[in-house]
Amino acid sequence: MIVIRLWNFFRGYAIIIVEGLKIERFINMAISNGIYIWDIKKLSYTSISAKIGLANFGKMREIVRKTDSTIEIKEKRGLPFMWKNLKRHKLFTASVLMLVVMIYIMCSYVWMIEVIGVKNIDPKTVMEIVNQEGLKEGVRKAKLDRHAIENRVLIKLPQLSWIGIQIRGTKATIEVVEKREEPELISKTDACDIVASKSGVIDKILVLNGDGVVKDGATVKKGQVLVMGTIVRENTETRLVHSLAQITARTWYEDAEEMDLQQIEFKETGRNTTHYKIKILDKEFGFKKSIPYNEYNELREEKNILSFGDYIFPVKLLSTEYQELVKVPKTLTVEQAKKRCEERLNQRLKLQLSEDAVVLDKKIDYFVEKKSVKAKISVEILEEIGVKKRIH
Amino acid sequence: MKKRTYKIKETLSNALELPKDIILDVAKVTLIGSNNVAVENHKGILEYNEDQIRVNTGSGILTIHGSKLNIKSILQEEITITGEINSVSY
Repeated sequence: MIVIRLWNFFRGYAIIIVEGLKIERFINMAISNGIYIWDIKKLSYTSISAKIGLANFGKMREIVRKTDSTIEIKEKRGLPFMWKNLKRHKLFTASVLMLVVMIYIMCSYVWMIEVIGVKNIDPKTVMEIVNQEGLKEGVRKAKLDRHAIENRVLIKLPQLSWIGIQIRGTKATIEVVEKREEPELISKTDACDIVASKSGVIDKILVLNGDGVVKDGATVKKGQVLVMGTIVRENTETRLVHSLAQITARTWYEDAEEMDLQQIEFKETGRNTTHYKIKILDKEFGFKKSIPYNEYNELREEKNILSFGDYIFPVKLLSTEYQELVKVPKTLTVEQAKKRCEERLNQRLKLQLSEDAVVLDKKIDYFVEKKSVKAKISVEILEEIGVKKRIH
Repeated sequence: MKKRTYKIKETLSNALELPKDIILDVAKVTLIGSNNVAVENHKGILEYNEDQIRVNTGSGILTIHGSKLNIKSILQEEITITGEINSVSY
């Protein structure tokens, strides 16, 4: 039934009012003549309203005559009449059509790119390479060969183990999986030596396989062989083995830091202004305003103002907030300077220490001078220093 | 004679499990809820009012009582009536 009604909508239909005493006969005759009428409503005792396809309207005349009724068109509906109406309002029709076409065209471009899944790599570098390979904002979706881009990006960025480009709406999502940094693995069947990764004094050496060359308490340099994988014995042939050993050593770490007593700090005055601009694609529109402060923090924020779910269009509101700063000269006391030095030194030390390292002793010496404080840190660490090295 | 052919047809359709509305040329009335009734195989409407519609069928006159009755669509083989239906009777 809906098919017929849809057909009638496209062909056009009319709402008619039939008046007469033989309404039932009128309906029956219409059906037997193959005229489809629907939505019949009784208006009064002698009249009904009904809908009828435009093509059948001509056939009604005879039925009307035979049943002594009158027929009146109340309203014309359907596509042909809508079309006629639209023709009358040409400008409106044209602009609506233009809008539809524009939206359609806009929808076939990529307007936003998002990188997810990055951990160690800067998302900007991924973005840059992806851009170079042809996936840019404003690129046509149909032109993109996703697999080719994925492959080329994988070649250019060896740190990635997988990349997937997904395009939904006008948004391209680039999902990447980074490779885990793999240590150089030496299989147990390969022969290797063990060398020192740092200079220090051997605290304890426990050789499981291979020939230990150093004893407890020996001073070793970085790169020195600690356990030999080449075993030489009298009367037998020289063998090559995969060395295994646990070697802990005391190592030393030193660092220095200097802090001026005269410091300049920037403080927010609390005053700020915000400038707004509209950004379409890469072009910014707005008035150029001067920034009323000498020293300021700049906070930029971009916001998509035209987005419908996955369909995001490249119109952005750019707001830039300027926070006024004021220079405050500050004189540190010696104690404060010392504290700051210590904080910095400790921070740097943390980065240097490996996971299994134990700090045995830590000493910070301060040297107070006229305008600054100098600090020197020396740390004694107990850590594993054995590193396997393949015998070639 | 007419009654006899009807009987034969009925036995036949019973025996072969054929749909009766096709073999016997009787109406098939489908009532959906209390506000939609479809009559297939009808033979034209006899009376149409807001509270009563009478439809001619192969097995007699079907009377539909109710209120605000409208003919949603009418075709040669099917008529769909909407509105608040109170009773459907022969």
